[in-house]
Amino acid sequence: MFRFLSIDGPARAALTLTAPVAMGYVPLGMVFGFLFVQAGGAWWLALSSSLFVYAGASQYMMIPLLAANTPIGTIALATLIVNSRHMFYGLSLLKKLPEHAIARWYLVFALTDETYSVVTTMPDGNRNLMVRIAAINQCWWVFGTLAGALIGAQAKIGLRGLDFALVALFCVLAVEQWRVRKSAVPLWSAVIAYGLIYPFSAQNALVLSIAASLLTAIATLKWAPRFNHD
Amino acid sequence: MTDLRYVLEVIAAMALVTFGLRALPFVAGRWLEKHPLAHRLGEFLPLAIMALLLLSSSVSAVQDDPHGPWPEIVAVGLTAVLQWRTKIPLLSILTGTGVYVVLRNFI
Repeated sequence: MFRFLSIDGPARAALTLTAPVAMGYVPLGMVFGFLFVQAGGAWWLALSSSLFVYAGASQYMMIPLLAANTPIGTIALATLIVNSRHMFYGLSLLKKLPEHAIARWYLVFALTDETYSVVTTMPDGNRNLMVRIAAINQCWWVFGTLAGALIGAQAKIGLRGLDFALVALFCVLAVEQWRVRKSAVPLWSAVIAYGLIYPFSAQNALVLSIAASLLTAIATLKWAPRFNHD
Repeated sequence: MTDLRYVLEVIAAMALVTFGLRALPFVAGRWLEKHPLAHRLGEFLPLAIMALLLLSSSVSAVQDDPHGPWPEIVAVGLTAVLQWRTKIPLLSILTGTGVYVVLRNFI
């Protein structure tokens, strides 16, 4: 009867492919759940975020924003900005999606950085395997969140600086973006914009410098490398 | 974080925005593929945004720290060097955070 539990063939392939993701998702999910609960949120709200939002960096970002009672529109805008890179992930999967509607839309929903990198580097384009991998990855993230939230609900830890995990996460993501850069201009223009804006409006420095970066990208469009219009 | 309705609305808004972004290529793929501006933004914004998120979260950590900015500079530097060398996010994040917690609490 419990055939789906037997580890053979496709199930084993999917588990093997998601093992490296589990190493990151379980502990990082735990840190998210822990910080969410320590900031005053209920454990099942942390769980709902991992079930329905399912986007690491923006989930980390939501904790201080929620704690500061930031308006919903601002949080939605910040989410749009932080997750905008996800817009380009689907492009390479356009013709590889599963046929079945639920499987297809689930895969689209679950296209995180890690899942994207696993399914695009898979040896063959097995469509059912892609969905399985996506689902197992989300299970790791959800499991980590739940474990972290339950620990956080019990623990009264007086250590300062645990929320530095968020800074470290952004640092890691910035280093990875730097590694694949085509030019250093985005970095320098962003840092200069922040330095110029901060003295005048510390409160809105982040949003305003993102807007400045957007304008810089548009203004320098004509110097960007040309693309093939076939 | 005590207003339940507010938190639920934030989760719903973030879920919708994120799903919308991930679904966009499947709805407007040809437009995204062809439009030079979309390519330009996809190339330019991720590095700029990650640098700004790092900068602004570091600045708020410094403001929260009576002994700043040295613990923040050391921990961010260590995290960046580890990630650059090892490419193991978990190692970099846990080491950086661990060192920062020690610097803040015990030194």
